[in-house]
Amino acid sequence: MHTKHMNTLKIIINECRNFILLGKISLGLALTLPMASCGKDDNSRPLYEDGKSNVIYDLAGDTEASMAGDVEGKEYRPFNIFLFRFHDQRQIWIKNANDSAQWLKTKDWDLAFTGPYNSELFVNNAYHEFNPGYGGETENTAVVLLRQPYEAVVEAPSDEEFDTSEVNKIGWAATESSPGWFRYSLQTHIMQALPNRTYAIRLPDGKYAKLQLINAYKGNPEAVTNMNWPAPYYTFRYYVQQDGSKNLNTREP
Amino acid sequence: MYQQNKQHVLTLLVLWFPIFSLAQDLQMSGFVRDSLDRPVAQATVTLVPDNQVYKTNDQGYFEFSRLYEGTYRLDIHHVRYVSEQVTLNLTDHDTTVYIRLQESRSSIEQVEVYGKITAVDNLIPAESAAMPVQVITRREIELMGSRRLDEVMKEQTGVAVVNDISAGSRAVGVQIQGFSSNYIMVLIDGQPILGRNNGNFDLSRISVTNIERIEIIKGASSCLYGSDALGGAINIITRHGAIMQQAQASLMYGTLHTLDATIEGEAPFANQRGSVVVSGNYYRTDGFNTDDRYLSSGSTTFPPYENYSFQGRLRYRISKDGTLGLTTRYASRNSKMYNVWAEDLRLEDGQQDRDINIGFNYDHHFAKGLRMMTRYYLTRFHTALYAEWLSQGVLAGEEEFGQYNHRLEQQFAYNPIRNLKLTAGLGGSMEVMDNQDLDDKRSLQTAFAYLQTEWRPVDRILTTVGLRYDQTNVYLGRMSPSLGLQYHLRENLLLKAGTGAGFKAPDYKMRYQVFFNPSANYLVVGNDRLAEVIDGLDSTGELSYVNSYMINQLVGNLQAEKSWSNNIGFTWTPIPTLQTEASVFYHRINNQINSVNIGTGTTVSQIYTYRNLPKAVNKGAELAVSYQATRDLQLSLGYQYLVAKDLGVLDSIRAGNYPYNQYNNAVTGEYRQSRPSDYWGIEDRSRHMANLKLLYMYRPWQTSINIRANIRGKYPFQETNGNQFIDDGDKFVPEHTLLNITVEKALWNRRLTLRLVADNVLGFMHRYMLGQPGRVILGGLSYRWMKE
Repeated sequence: MHTKHMNTLKIIINECRNFILLGKISLGLALTLPMASCGKDDNSRPLYEDGKSNVIYDLAGDTEASMAGDVEGKEYRPFNIFLFRFHDQRQIWIKNANDSAQWLKTKDWDLAFTGPYNSELFVNNAYHEFNPGYGGETENTAVVLLRQPYEAVVEAPSDEEFDTSEVNKIGWAATESSPGWFRYSLQTHIMQALPNRTYAIRLPDGKYAKLQLINAYKGNPEAVTNMNWPAPYYTFRYYVQQDGSKNLNTREP
Repeated sequence: MYQQNKQHVLTLLVLWFPIFSLAQDLQMSGFVRDSLDRPVAQATVTLVPDNQVYKTNDQGYFEFSRLYEGTYRLDIHHVRYVSEQVTLNLTDHDTTVYIRLQESRSSIEQVEVYGKITAVDNLIPAESAAMPVQVITRREIELMGSRRLDEVMKEQTGVAVVNDISAGSRAVGVQIQGFSSNYIMVLIDGQPILGRNNGNFDLSRISVTNIERIEIIKGASSCLYGSDALGGAINIITRHGAIMQQAQASLMYGTLHTLDATIEGEAPFANQRGSVVVSGNYYRTDGFNTDDRYLSSGSTTFPPYENYSFQGRLRYRISKDGTLGLTTRYASRNSKMYNVWAEDLRLEDGQQDRDINIGFNYDHHFAKGLRMMTRYYLTRFHTALYAEWLSQGVLAGEEEFGQYNHRLEQQFAYNPIRNLKLTAGLGGSMEVMDNQDLDDKRSLQTAFAYLQTEWRPVDRILTTVGLRYDQTNVYLGRMSPSLGLQYHLRENLLLKAGTGAGFKAPDYKMRYQVFFNPSANYLVVGNDRLAEVIDGLDSTGELSYVNSYMINQLVGNLQAEKSWSNNIGFTWTPIPTLQTEASVFYHRINNQINSVNIGTGTTVSQIYTYRNLPKAVNKGAELAVSYQATRDLQLSLGYQYLVAKDLGVLDSIRAGNYPYNQYNNAVTGEYRQSRPSDYWGIEDRSRHMANLKLLYMYRPWQTSINIRANIRGKYPFQETNGNQFIDDGDKFVPEHTLLNITVEKALWNRRLTLRLVADNVLGFMHRYMLGQPGRVILGGLSYRWMKE
């Protein structure tokens, strides 16, 4: 009963607030029309640039496959894989057997964007099955999912944690335990990057890095207003500690 | 005063009490009452075209005798009330008419309110839903200067027009008291209109030019209209009947190259035994872009379109007791828009709609207060949509969809005694989809029967009881009851309360369709085919994990969505110039149907089916105040407070279920376990919505100015932080005010009217309000010819 009264009270207070709002607005209208023109927009954007990390904007995935995707009568072609190399920010396409033979089993790439909309990521690894680098020469790599914002990750986990981590495919986070980076909403049909998932990575050369996937839509919009919004265009950021230490602090000193 | 009008359950109520008579000379009598049902004495009632005049007595009674059969008009005047005009057909019965006047308001309306009989093609009164009914009159629409129905609706208290992004760029729907568009039935002259885009009914398809009045029922109305009227109904009543030959042409033009042109004509024939009303409308607009941050010039978020509509209504009294009515309507829309993200990312998006409605009815009066109406209705809707990437020559989507609906219904209205009114009916409908090869269950057959009673046991009390039963071939039968009460506590204080049930049966897709989305790699299986599909996947080794417990729970157990609406409120008229109405509402929706993840496959990433969610609640309060400050100035206010929440979300947050268990705010960097208090509510619903209206008439110039401020509190646009519910880390449309001003000047004894419309004067636009253009200025005129 008590809470009920509280709720009623809340409703009344909220109503009163609105009347005050109405009063203000009517006054605004009477005095200065343009003053009341629009409410404030509280949808402010977080800044991704921190002066240390590399921020990659709108890296185009296999947009041709995505465009032809769900149309009847069109041949359904799987998405072409592309690779990404951290040190020179190079995108490498795997479109045929030659490309595969040339690249997949080498140490010359760090990330592979595979699967539908290139949304399933792998960190180059020779031992994990289904990893594009499986059976190759990339040893010692590992990924640990840290459920923290990117900025908050200031140190790489222990090598023991890396060694025991099972994280391989980083895709759709359908369950709590999934290491995935996004959710696909069946209500809105939108891929949403989970904002508090940061991936700590041990690279082939033993250096430590951190990675955040930010968006799969062109222009990195905060919200998508059209179901045909061009995708995949990846916006992500990463930081590689060059001195070999575990320090991953990217905040301003 | 217009606001006041709408807030009223009954602006004008005309009840027929035909009394059997052998006399050749007919008599028409009636009672004039005010909004609180008190008799209005000393009102002047003029019978047109005979020009007989009668002053009502203390009981509000008037009568005219020695009349011939035909169509008549009554003009009712009283200084303290708004004048009304009522058109009616006098057949071989003596007829009693009940006329309700609104309290003292300026005579601005005097000239223009045509309170024609509302029920020429439907005997079911909207009030039987026991839910609040808001009425918008033709004159109000004229004073707003609106062109399309969505523009009129979004200025009403508790009504919002919202884009459903997930259903595509063209999915726009109307929301009433928190109910989304797929729970709102839209009817034209009492018959349902087809054509929804994923449940969204786009009201901009409908021109307002030939609308006589609009009834908005807020809350479950299945007791009147069956499935789909789970959350409310919008009934559009078009113009009908004619006293004299007249024609009207109007033209408006302005911003966005918006052009609205209408020609209407009406004429009686065969000595007033028949009448014909025809109208044609052409409308076009350029559309506009609210997202120029991402979409380059030439793009639109609200599509450009052109629309033609034609309507004809014919009524003819074939015998002393019987009248035939025929209504035909044709509307078509063509639209093509472009979305340009980059030079090589140009999307062409087209749509073509066709809409045909044909209604036929026969209305027969029997002796002893029995009236019967036979109604047949045929409607067809066809739409073709496509989207193509121009540089790539690749289709992004293509859909063609057509359906027919046949309806046959027999209605009865019976007044056995003076204070009891019964309305009953039975009928059936058959809805057939064009594409029959996919499945033989693509036709929906419904049979229904209903009974509504209005009983006034004592003068102060009016009760309504309604009951309807619907049976369909794809779903079980369902009973929808309703109960309403109106009680005059004091002369100027009326208590109104109502409760009613609504439902919506699961559709074909939810029960039988198996849908695979190759690009996102998921499978959605209709509930009835779940076992079969899962077994199939299992036997071919394509299943990696299924939640068998959940599947066993779900299979063959999909329930109809149900609602239960309640409202209670007061109408208080402390002084004749001030009218207030306040009410609270509580709508509960059970078994809302939603998709649920039931497993994963080896090739298919995720497998989904449909299930019922526990419940959602829309609750809140509504307030309407109308004040006649001076004879020529009227002020009004409408306000709605709304809390719309999915209780299943709250349960999931409390239970800590993934992904509901997380709260992420990318802006503040706050990341923690979620709490029930984080839940803001359902998308697209504002807590606060208000409108302020001012209407002023400057008589020396025959000029009226109508200013409306429509204020919406902030509302959630999209869930973006991955926890499947709206919290303050998601994206919102900020609070805003849309200010609309219309100026109208009448010339030459009101034959010529000039109109200047300025919508959204403050120019508010937002990238999450795809359907809201910036400032729009239109100017136009209308001219009326009358054969004196």
